[in-house]
Amino acid sequence: MMKKLKSWPVWMLMGLLVVALLTVGTTRDSGPLTQSDRIDAITKRIACPTCDGESVFVSRATAAESIRNQVARDVAAGTMSDNQIIGSIADTFQGKILLVPRATGVDSLVWILPIAVLVCAVAGLFVAFRRWKRNNSGDATAEDIALVKRLLGEDPTDEENV
Amino acid sequence: MLSVSGLAGPLGRAALLVGLIGAFFGMFAAAVGTRQQDEKVLKLVPRFATLSCVAAFLAFVAMEWAMITRDFSLAYIQKVGSRSTPALYNFTAVWSALEGSILLWLLVLTCLTLAIAYKYRARINDPMVGWAMATMFFVGIFFFILTLGPANPFGAGAPGVFDGPGPNPLLQNHILVVFHPPILYLGYVGMTVPFAFAIGALITGRVGEGWLIETRRWALFSWGLLTFGIILGSWWSYEVLGWSGVWAWDPVENASFIPWLTATAYIHSVLVQERRGMLRVWNLSLLVSTFSLTILGTFLTRSGVLNSVHAFSDSNIGPYLLSFFAIIVVVSVVLIGWRGDKLHAPGTIDSPLSREGAFLANNVIFSVFAFVVLLGTVFPLVVEAIQNRQLVVGEPFFDKLAVPTGLTLLFLMCIAPVLPWRKASSELLSERLFWPAWCGIAALVFSLLVGATGFAPLLTFTLGGFAGGAALRQLVLATRRQGLRGLVGRANGGMVVHIGVILIAVALAASNSYTRSQELSLKQGVVAQFAGHTFELTGFTEMSDARRTSISAVIRVDGGKSYAPAISKFKSMGTNIGTPSVKSSLTKDIYLTVEPPLKMSSKSAKIKVFIKPMVMWLWIGGFLMGFGTLLSAFPGRRRRPTDPTSARVPEYS
Repeated sequence: MMKKLKSWPVWMLMGLLVVALLTVGTTRDSGPLTQSDRIDAITKRIACPTCDGESVFVSRATAAESIRNQVARDVAAGTMSDNQIIGSIADTFQGKILLVPRATGVDSLVWILPIAVLVCAVAGLFVAFRRWKRNNSGDATAEDIALVKRLLGEDPTDEENV
Repeated sequence: MLSVSGLAGPLGRAALLVGLIGAFFGMFAAAVGTRQQDEKVLKLVPRFATLSCVAAFLAFVAMEWAMITRDFSLAYIQKVGSRSTPALYNFTAVWSALEGSILLWLLVLTCLTLAIAYKYRARINDPMVGWAMATMFFVGIFFFILTLGPANPFGAGAPGVFDGPGPNPLLQNHILVVFHPPILYLGYVGMTVPFAFAIGALITGRVGEGWLIETRRWALFSWGLLTFGIILGSWWSYEVLGWSGVWAWDPVENASFIPWLTATAYIHSVLVQERRGMLRVWNLSLLVSTFSLTILGTFLTRSGVLNSVHAFSDSNIGPYLLSFFAIIVVVSVVLIGWRGDKLHAPGTIDSPLSREGAFLANNVIFSVFAFVVLLGTVFPLVVEAIQNRQLVVGEPFFDKLAVPTGLTLLFLMCIAPVLPWRKASSELLSERLFWPAWCGIAALVFSLLVGATGFAPLLTFTLGGFAGGAALRQLVLATRRQGLRGLVGRANGGMVVHIGVILIAVALAASNSYTRSQELSLKQGVVAQFAGHTFELTGFTEMSDARRTSISAVIRVDGGKSYAPAISKFKSMGTNIGTPSVKSSLTKDIYLTVEPPLKMSSKSAKIKVFIKPMVMWLWIGGFLMGFGTLLSAFPGRRRRPTDPTSARVPEYS
């Protein structure tokens, strides 16, 4: 019975169940955000122009306070999207206050390089496994087989054998 | 004639000079004694370690003495000392700026050098120990030079100064200032020990697994202390800064996080080398990276090249740190290249679907993550160098890349604990992953029932449940067989650490995704409501001393206990510093801040309320990580040492 439960169709059903539940959870309404929530979300993306790398959300400096008030006015007016509000403030400061680098020019490197490094690392891993597989075609000796049998017979909870 | 307090400067300088001489002779004795196998010379090594440690301790005591006696003849005391700072924060003011923090680093380093010298004194004629000691002394010499040169805490100050501003106000309003920096430094500096043994192994050519076994507990404890230090820093930030967050991807936070990432990769991949004799170059590279990144991080945050709320003022320490970083990297790379033939591992990894395969994948993710955080931290410097314009890379950038990385690591934590060494069959995986997978589904269903939404947080809860199930499965199996002994050892203690990490991931996902905030204008006697809670302003309290004036708004929450967020004005600084007040519970925190201006005569106050779910689980997860690290340090059950480690698994049908 337990063996049947752990067969691949059950795993498929589990996978489908997870996808369905995630879809329900992702698409359902999370309720209205307060204006304050929206102001927080926007000010987290803007750097305080007079601080040491802090966001307007975090900073208590006068310049940050002034930008926070500007964002609050824009949010209260209700005419602009979050990106439009951030864009208008960034234009005022000539882009120097964006906490997320743009995906153009030299700034795009900050987005491209992580992906490039990840691709290289995964490719390196793939090549290494291929090479190990190629170098690993010898047959096991009787001693190897005896060792494996012995190990398989050991306590499965032994931390070195799990 | 010098007054008693005026003695601190000369005494401190003399102690540092003696310590430098001790470290220099210690390095000389260790290197020459090892090279010539001269036991007489080698026996001097622990004595020189004692000398340099005692000297560093005396220098530290002199600095504390100067701080306690308010010796304003020293420039450093003029910078961070104040007659109005309370005794506790006056004591911690020693490490509140560049010079004192380097002195603390030096003290920890010389203590570790002494500990190693005495632990291995019976084996001091072992060349690997000898070269490791020489490396420890070499690092010590560098830090003695820093404290005698660009980061000298005993430099004479301007005459006629009788008081100072005291430490940064944020460093004098929470008890964690006593614990967070020293613990973080213990972790940071502790990484010197495995690094020194790695260099010793490379020089002697004994690049097998011996040096790993010598240093694994040092590496584990350093990692544990670094972890604990980072968690304490997050807690401090949450309790003090008033923006309700625990992590801001500030350059100084990143400077501790990047070596933590490479060290975490190391404590996983080292198991592959111990078990299979593989990944020798990789493990050495991770150790060298971890140690050199602590130096690079110190350069980035102490030299003034990067702006940060934590960073200390500009100094000329930068070229020293950068040169030291370059020396470490070049020497390590040359040594690894020189020992290339001996570093070739005999074994192979049979299948990606194996314990060692999972560790490799884990290492790739941790290393890429470390690269991303380093890139984001230094990218403003790159742009300024290329285009002479300023750029800020902040929290949203790091969050965008950290979320998928964290989810991938959580996924690996689901699978890896159930994987056997060498190769796993699909039947075995199906057997071992079945109940953990149902734990994941149960976590997802529960999350939906309590109203959770959003793809990333829901996936985090699902994977958290799955990974928690996998870790618990391992612990249940182990304790069933071995009783409480099943909780100790690296594999089982490591599972406790995993549960801590899972709790932190789930708490971060919940608190970041479902925080609700609202500004409330409260009038005395009128009850306001937000998110099902009531808030009533019942009055104000004022506290004033020579250092600051604080006004707190007393707010009764849900008709029960009152909380008092405050605004303080430090006389030395002049600006308002907010102090939050937090009502904590297992399900959520109610985090209150008060907005300036605040007047005692006023009948109203503007407050900001943050409702933050599950924050308490962050601290519980941090505690479990520390506890799990301790459990990991105890020896678990071991395989027989005579068993070969690299025999291939044949295919069984």
